[in-house]
Amino acid sequence: MSRIAPTLAALAAQGRKALIPYVMAGHPGLGVTVPLMHAMVSAGANIIELGIPFSDPMADGPVIQKAGEAALRLGVGTSDVLAMVREFRAQDRTTPVVLMGYANPVECYNLQHGADGFVKDAAAAGVDGVLIVDYPPEECEAFAATLRAHDLDLIFLLAPTSTDARMDLVARVASGYVYYVSLKGVTGAGHLDTAAVEAMLPRIRQHVSVPVGVGFGIRDAQTAQAIGRVADAVVIGSRLIQLLESSPQGQEIAEVESFLRNVRQALDA
Amino acid sequence: MGAEDVKRQSPNVYRMKLLGATVVPVESGSRTLKDALNEALRDWVTHVENTFYIIGTVAGPHPYPMMVRDFQSVIGEECLTQMPAMHGRQPDAVVACVGGGSNAMGIFYPYIEHAGTRLIGVEAAGEGLESGKHSASLQRGAPGVLHGNRTYILQDANGQITETHSVSAGLDYPGVGPEHAYLKDIGRAEYVGVTDSEALEAFHYLCRTEGIIPALESSHAIAYAMKLARTMPSTAAILVNLSGRGDKDIGTVADLSQADFYCRPSCRGQSVKGGAEQVIWIQP
Repeated sequence: MSRIAPTLAALAAQGRKALIPYVMAGHPGLGVTVPLMHAMVSAGANIIELGIPFSDPMADGPVIQKAGEAALRLGVGTSDVLAMVREFRAQDRTTPVVLMGYANPVECYNLQHGADGFVKDAAAAGVDGVLIVDYPPEECEAFAATLRAHDLDLIFLLAPTSTDARMDLVARVASGYVYYVSLKGVTGAGHLDTAAVEAMLPRIRQHVSVPVGVGFGIRDAQTAQAIGRVADAVVIGSRLIQLLESSPQGQEIAEVESFLRNVRQALDA
Repeated sequence: MGAEDVKRQSPNVYRMKLLGATVVPVESGSRTLKDALNEALRDWVTHVENTFYIIGTVAGPHPYPMMVRDFQSVIGEECLTQMPAMHGRQPDAVVACVGGGSNAMGIFYPYIEHAGTRLIGVEAAGEGLESGKHSASLQRGAPGVLHGNRTYILQDANGQITETHSVSAGLDYPGVGPEHAYLKDIGRAEYVGVTDSEALEAFHYLCRTEGIIPALESSHAIAYAMKLARTMPSTAAILVNLSGRGDKDIGTVADLSQADFYCRPSCRGQSVKGGAEQVIWIQP
């Protein structure tokens, strides 16, 4: 078992919601990511999603696209991302880390490091879960089995358009939590409807037994609070990346930390 | 459409606008076909309730490669019927250009079971297969996943999709339809490369000899058919898929040939990816 289920179970026992920030590995600079991860934990993050940059991020809006392009310009590859997790893990042995990315960098890593190379090396680095946007459940049973063998969770996205049959399919391979995409669109979009999310969550829970996180379009503490009333976890990504971009140099980490502290307070209120 | 291709294919863009379409130039990534696909998929998931996603090539998530193949295979079925009627027998070889691979898959598909007919896909070798500036996914790519299909992909050591180059916008794509990857792996089809300058030479040759202005994409197939013909007996038959008209490309060709073209304000050379100085066309 990875650190994810115990972490979420402990929060649930306290009646608290998980705060899951997403940042892009290597953005806005190579040396920023690991200190940023520690700062987010101290601000109240419970699980960290770390993006693996990809040249063609089909599910991402312009904010995360640009962050990925910036990381790629710095030469960040999959092994660099794993190295960042290893460095984070040297000081933090409890906070779960989920890698979020696309299939091709993973497949390419496996071509070079052996069939299960990515999963083995991710497990050794201290990764807890993996979310591969373009691995549909019917195409990744072998990948899911390898992850399970290494005690890693496979996180799946569900969308407002997911059918009951689709949710059942996801439920068969998903572990850790499922990530409900709160709107029809890409990451960082601005048209989140909290009432629609509230209406969807009970339907998801009929099919999926693992906790449900909600993300895509959560931009402030109030929205996080509203979502937290119905979901088990709140995921925030694009907003953090915008903060990292807009903050004066040297202030980036402090800005994100203070933003997340506010969200944490709103979630715990 | 990728912003680069909006420039390169401006007559097609204008034609679409005349017919009432809104053409959105995509400025992300390499601003070509793959980026337009990314953006179309993003738009689709955002407006899924009132939007259909359609694609003109045999790539993308299932069932698109299958659907496009079946629609495109009308040409192959017609050839299968008409070749014996017009020529007395089936061809010894079928030659078609391959970017995403729709026209090639369409003409190959009914011939797959005709073992006597060689199937030859011609990829854009750009400035040469060794130059790194090409779009030859089947010849120089590695297996991977892009746009929802597993196929050969031009990528770097980290699995990032690399920028491609071809004088023809329709071949400028770093992946290829998965069924072509399959035909290559089982050895049923052969895949070869033709450079920008060879394609341009074939473009001019067909204009002068047949009075047909071929698309720059199809000019790759013509260039290879001309090479192949020299190696075959005069009784052999080669079937070439002339998949598109070159009207849309005459501005590009004029630029590359240093010819005046209605004093086009697009600035000679600048409208062409790579620049005129990088492509040498030899007057036939």
